[in-house]
Amino acid sequence: MASPLPAAHDEPPAQSGPSAAILVDNLSKRFGQFWALRGAGFSIRPGEILGLIGPNGSGKTTLFECLAGVSPATLGTVTRGGVTIEPSRRKDLLYFVPDGVRPWPDQTVGWVLRFIAGLHGSPAESVGEALDALALEPLRGARLRELSKGEHRRVLLAIGLLTPTPVLMLDEPFDGLDLRQTRDVMHVLRSTASRGRTLFLSIHQLGDAARICDRFVLLSGGRVAGEGTLGELRAKAGLPGADLEEAFLALT
Amino acid sequence: MPSPDHRATSGETWRWLIEKELRELAASRSYWLLLLVVGALVGHAFVTSVNLYAEASGIAGGPSALAQGLNPLEGIVVPTFGAYDLAATLLFPFVVIRLAASDKETGALALMLQSPASLWTSIVAKGVALLLAWLVAGLAGLAALLLWRGMGGHLFAPETWTVILGHVLRGFLTIGIAAAAGALAASAASAAIIALTVTLGTWALDYVAAARGGAIASVASYTPSAALRVFEHGELRAATVLVLLALGAGGLAIASVWLEQGRATSSRVARAAAIMVVVAVTCALSARIRASRDVSEDRRNSFPPADEATLRAIDSPLRVVVYLSAEDPRLTDLERGVLAKLRRVMPSVEVVYAAQSRSGLFERPNEHYGEVYYELGGHRAMLRSTTEPIVLETLYQLAGRQPPTAAATVPYPGYPLAARPTIAPWLFFVVWPVALVVSWWLITRPKISRLRAFGES
Repeated sequence: MASPLPAAHDEPPAQSGPSAAILVDNLSKRFGQFWALRGAGFSIRPGEILGLIGPNGSGKTTLFECLAGVSPATLGTVTRGGVTIEPSRRKDLLYFVPDGVRPWPDQTVGWVLRFIAGLHGSPAESVGEALDALALEPLRGARLRELSKGEHRRVLLAIGLLTPTPVLMLDEPFDGLDLRQTRDVMHVLRSTASRGRTLFLSIHQLGDAARICDRFVLLSGGRVAGEGTLGELRAKAGLPGADLEEAFLALT
Repeated sequence: MPSPDHRATSGETWRWLIEKELRELAASRSYWLLLLVVGALVGHAFVTSVNLYAEASGIAGGPSALAQGLNPLEGIVVPTFGAYDLAATLLFPFVVIRLAASDKETGALALMLQSPASLWTSIVAKGVALLLAWLVAGLAGLAALLLWRGMGGHLFAPETWTVILGHVLRGFLTIGIAAAAGALAASAASAAIIALTVTLGTWALDYVAAARGGAIASVASYTPSAALRVFEHGELRAATVLVLLALGAGGLAIASVWLEQGRATSSRVARAAAIMVVVAVTCALSARIRASRDVSEDRRNSFPPADEATLRAIDSPLRVVVYLSAEDPRLTDLERGVLAKLRRVMPSVEVVYAAQSRSGLFERPNEHYGEVYYELGGHRAMLRSTTEPIVLETLYQLAGRQPPTAAATVPYPGYPLAARPTIAPWLFFVVWPVALVVSWWLITRPKISRLRAFGES
């Protein structure tokens, strides 16, 4: 599974194919008097790896939940090719793997992955591919409650990879992984994107984000502070040659 | 890797969902505990009732009861399966809540909400799996019946299956109530409190109805305990079956709409309220259905066939005004021995419970207390008797009809059996628990050791 780290991308991948970009407009979420998201707007382009960058409490998970339709947004629309995608139909387009969930702790890794694949109509052989890609084969018979944090994280990633939606949203996909595992998972994600699947990743570590993502959405205090490639963010921040961390700090 | 073009068929979706729920149940300690306790309860009830039945049949050398009084439905089936009423009240709700709330508590709900299967499909799959689990728990009762037959005991299939159906529907009602509680509450502990509150509420309703009667008694006739009594009495009543089904399905539907976390709370409240209205209307309409069948071998819920034929032919509506309080045993006799049977056979029967006072020691009843008025075809008669032949004779006089000639019928013979349950204690107190412990260990033991996992990696 070991492979060289994917290079950081300053430019977006070529926009091709029949799929149109997903446009998120004015996405807002209020809890009582507190606005966790305020008018978030950005685009998700086909086949790209889009990074959602923001500090703790900036609204990353809330944005994912609202986008996936598992939590109701107070305001906002999601459109694709000019057609509004209602929350109840988002599951045809997007799949969100949350951070911190511990689903089905009494079931084995192998069965859970077969269940997800079977439920989503994915081919049975894709389970073996996911197990191999994420080095989970030795844990096929282990129950999920027996797994370490890193092992569990890889199972969640495998769950996401086994779903067939055009867009996969992963909340903190590298959390709990060591250096080698992070590198290997990046390779798997890059490989997935190269086959046309769009990835939208919430990443806490800016270094990891810079290594894997094509473009970025910077979130601060529930607002989108910037969107674009690293080069575009540098230009917007007026800091040529700055790294992602410096651009993020300048823009938020 | 998967393609968006692939879709699971409906059959595959159901298979995966039900398998998931069955696996979750098999991993649930609460379910294994339920099976263990049910085995002991059924065993104790069966052994006790067989011993009592044997003594009533003269095994101890004392005077035996009249053979006609020895009825396996009342003597064996009902008390043995009574263990399931206890289990459905105090144990099964926790099994249901565990299954209904686990997806929410572990975060799996967020994944299930995004699956191609609708949430309603997922909840129904849980209901199906739980119903199967309830039937598996019923194996203890089935084993008791087989033992009874093996001892030479008599069973009348229609009334026995009716009691079993009653307990299946009782389990379904528990599934619906506990699933709704599991969905509505923030935690399993809170859900358990809600479920127990509902149970206590139905007990309170039973208590109040027993003391007051009237409209409250009509509602209380569909509490779990009261509904079960209909089946235990050898009656298959369409209204009771439909109300239990509506309440159980309503609970599952409420669980389904409430777990749709992608909808705003106001929307979920409105949908849940709409379901409650639909269920209430369905129950009210179902309660008006009079179709009923007496499946008891001794025809305890019926008049003699000739009388029933005559009563069916009376078109005029019958109005009965009863001046007996709800706690008066004469009203109980009248209800069971006359009014319930009249409702089954006559086209239109209206009963008015007019007693204002109680029959307590320190209360003075009103001047009409104890009277029962029968109004039919513009004629009216008053009786103080609550016995069947006298009431029937009065009704025939009011209707201007001749009493039917009593046809020769074969009287209920009774089925005495003077035999002790020698195998049952071994089965229920040794074999059943040992088999459960071994099965539990085989199913839930760790599948792979950490050392082995790392050794292979």
